[in-house]
Amino acid sequence: MKAITEYIGNIIETVTTIFEGMAITFSHLVRRPVTVQYPDKIDKRVQDTLPRRYRGILEVDMDICTGCLACERVCPITCITIGIEMNKETKQRAFSHFDIDICKCMYCGLCAEVCPTGSIRHSQEFEGACYNPAGLVRHFVTEPAPLYKPKKGGETDPKMITKVETGQGYLDEFATPEKSGGGAAEEG
Amino acid sequence: MLMSANIPAESEVFHTEDMIISMGPQHPSTHGVLRFIVRTDGEVMREAIPDVGYLHRSIEKIGEKVTWHGFVPYTDRADYLAAMFANQGFCMAAERLGGIEVTRRGEFCRVIACELNRIASHLIAVGTFGQDIGAVTPFLHALRERETINDLMEEICGARLTYNYIRIGGVGYDITSETCDRITAFLDHFEPIVDEYNRLISYNKIFVERLVHVAPITKEDAFQYNIVGPNLRACGVKWDIRRDIPYSVYPELDFDIPVGTGEKGALGDCYDRYMMRIREMEESCKIVRQCLKMLPPGPAISKVARKFKPPAGEAYVRVESSRGDMGFYVVSDGSEYPYRVRIRTGSFTAMSLVSKLSQGLMVADLIALIASLDVDAPEIDR
Amino acid sequence: MQPFIDQLIQEGYFSALPRDLAYAGFIVLVAFAVLSFFVAPLAGITSWLERRVWGRMQSRVGPNRVGPQGILQWLADGIKNLLKEDIIPTAADKWLFALAPYIVFVGFLAAFVVIPFGGKLIVADLNIGILYLLAVTSLVVVGILMAGWSSNNKWSLLGGMRSAAQIISYEIPAGLAVLTIVLVAGTMSMQGIIQAQGWAPWDWLLFYNPFTFIAFFLYFTAALAEGNRTPFDIPEAESELVAGYVTEYSGMRFLFFFFAEWGNLYVIGAVAATLFLGGWQIPPIPALADYPVVKGILQFIVFFLKAYLWVFVAMWVRGTLPRVRVDQLMSLCWKYMVPLSFLCLLGTAAWMVLWPQGNRVASVAMFLLGSAIAVLFFKRVNYQIRHARPVLYLKPYI
Repeated sequence: MKAITEYIGNIIETVTTIFEGMAITFSHLVRRPVTVQYPDKIDKRVQDTLPRRYRGILEVDMDICTGCLACERVCPITCITIGIEMNKETKQRAFSHFDIDICKCMYCGLCAEVCPTGSIRHSQEFEGACYNPAGLVRHFVTEPAPLYKPKKGGETDPKMITKVETGQGYLDEFATPEKSGGGAAEEG
Repeated sequence: MLMSANIPAESEVFHTEDMIISMGPQHPSTHGVLRFIVRTDGEVMREAIPDVGYLHRSIEKIGEKVTWHGFVPYTDRADYLAAMFANQGFCMAAERLGGIEVTRRGEFCRVIACELNRIASHLIAVGTFGQDIGAVTPFLHALRERETINDLMEEICGARLTYNYIRIGGVGYDITSETCDRITAFLDHFEPIVDEYNRLISYNKIFVERLVHVAPITKEDAFQYNIVGPNLRACGVKWDIRRDIPYSVYPELDFDIPVGTGEKGALGDCYDRYMMRIREMEESCKIVRQCLKMLPPGPAISKVARKFKPPAGEAYVRVESSRGDMGFYVVSDGSEYPYRVRIRTGSFTAMSLVSKLSQGLMVADLIALIASLDVDAPEIDR
Repeated sequence: MQPFIDQLIQEGYFSALPRDLAYAGFIVLVAFAVLSFFVAPLAGITSWLERRVWGRMQSRVGPNRVGPQGILQWLADGIKNLLKEDIIPTAADKWLFALAPYIVFVGFLAAFVVIPFGGKLIVADLNIGILYLLAVTSLVVVGILMAGWSSNNKWSLLGGMRSAAQIISYEIPAGLAVLTIVLVAGTMSMQGIIQAQGWAPWDWLLFYNPFTFIAFFLYFTAALAEGNRTPFDIPEAESELVAGYVTEYSGMRFLFFFFAEWGNLYVIGAVAATLFLGGWQIPPIPALADYPVVKGILQFIVFFLKAYLWVFVAMWVRGTLPRVRVDQLMSLCWKYMVPLSFLCLLGTAAWMVLWPQGNRVASVAMFLLGSAIAVLFFKRVNYQIRHARPVLYLKPYI
């Protein structure tokens, strides 16, 4: 007798659970799909929708780079190579090359954190595919460029003010021992 | 068959009817690059011997060449599905060596990030489990939820998989209040989804029949082979690092440790291990909610030197990762590079048990067994 | 056809050929035309439907780029596969390897001969119609075993053997369920079975008595097993045996197996529609009595829709259920389905002794029961939609 009840119980359980499962998949059939049909059937560029802190491909604003080499030292995978040369006549130091190998880069953000002016930072770009490997090394210095010297008492050159502020704004995203975050969610 | 003198002694147990199949490194369902040498006579296996090492990237050796801060991104890659836990383990070990105290807000941010990562990792585990058994729809539903967690992580720290979020001394970025609101919205959305997922697949008769009574692990075997994490809890052992060797702010949080009860079959079989992960996802939701309420104001990271040079010594730290307890044994010799970093992961020991459990199973059950142990190839080979 | 060819020969064409060769040539030409212009698009559209339906069930969109709504995706896949390199493993048995897909193909293609698309739209109304169909669809076993063996690959061999066991075992519940219907209809010819039913749902053989109702589900499940569809797709289990018996195949040979599978789905749906759902019967509209062509087209559409309903259900089941294990498959067949199908057969025989002309009340009651189950189903779907929150999308402005 027990075998018969077990037999019939098996059949009933199979049918009911399959019924339930099929109802769930049918309900998904009539719901909106979540696919984002990138890259042609979207309204905004995806790069514009990414959050501020997104760690995309590195970019360097050479106008505010001081040449301190902190980023080269801290990079765990040595993807940044910087060359600084002293011009013998003018005794000025200038960049000879500033290369970032984006296929070695780990996108960890350590270089952006240690930069004093915020000139090296992660952009929102993620589309870096190209047809030959040489294109994967970004050269940010094409001709010898001067180093930036931050002025005491703030920057006065109007062209440079926006750049300096952008760099500083990027640095403010990182947590620092001096900064105090907001309280719990209800207070925010 | 030619029998010459140099055939090894294995030929005594080697029948001529057995097939030796290699479930090779390229296989749709071995959770990464794993290889099993399966000896079978048709459907029933005699043994399945795991062959690991295809994903070895010598992370531990690299640890001797980069600085303390520079090694944290590498720990992400030790198990990329549960990256936060590896970050936290290494940072805790470094803090213990250097005598650094993490700020309170930093601790809460760490717990929020870790528990969200645990939910994401378990979603992949149950999703791929369903796919290996044959149901492809639950996999995509699980990944859809994981996408939202990835979006949240993107907002918090800028990356979707390899976070580099937990740093020595605290966390790298602060969690803003908009992000807290979004996390709460996600949790409100997620809890009914787990319920729907259960009704779709967890209670499905075919799924249950595939998994009950398959490869139960006894308590003695679990202790002998050093199984940890949800696999151990499914055998009935209530052991969780967050409760038994507490760290961070877990002592102040209120959560349950789900334990396997053999509800539909033997204690510690594949179905128990599967249900463990579902229950743990629900518990993690509770933990995140409490942390969001208790998040204190203050700095998120404490002051740590740029060139971090902890005094010479060694430290061993265990964290409860989603695949079991992950141990970090770190030795410092006073310089700015670690002397030795050793990572102990739960998947490695779980692989050693496969050889014993697979005797007498069918080939289809081997797939279920590997999926239920939730092994992860990068974690095994590092 | 034959008078047409005779006339052509009299007019001087093909005068050099012997008459039988001319006939044979024409038959081959017609077969080629039917194959390319009817069966290929049918299997292709089935594959498109499957991919779109699957995609929507998984909260994603299926292929929608090639052609309007992606309807030409199968054509693109077919052309791509034709252009691929033909790889035959060195150690494989070349002749069997090349021959296996064609045998599988023949197995399902020959079934199209007896499918009644309309009142007069049937290629050959054999008086053993349904028996012929069951016999011919068993040919695929030979093809699958050949594919598994000749690949010289242990995984393929396992897949081929599992498939042979599966298909042969599930012939029995399928055959018995069909036999139940043949008992009621009194004839094995496909048109005869359709004419034994009426156009209204309560006249369909599905609702004739509770035993045929159960026989329908048994037939459907057994047919899914014969067609290697989930939950019985063990021979081609992707996650276990890489791809089972088709592992070593690539290019067009690979596609032939799947072609046969999708086409077979249609055959299953067509047979289910014929035997249980009343086939091409449409309500008698007096206005159409003078337009046989329009009537024929309407019948074709009705039949098509009924068959595709069951094709859709098969895809839906594939998207929902996991796979059963081989020993569970065998126990399901021999312990559950064979006894139940015997029960249906004996029950129907007893019913026919009691009510030789059928019991109208019981049919209407079964129809109401069926509708109640459908209503319950949609209420459950409604519950799912209300209960689970709408999809949370953090970036809704994309």
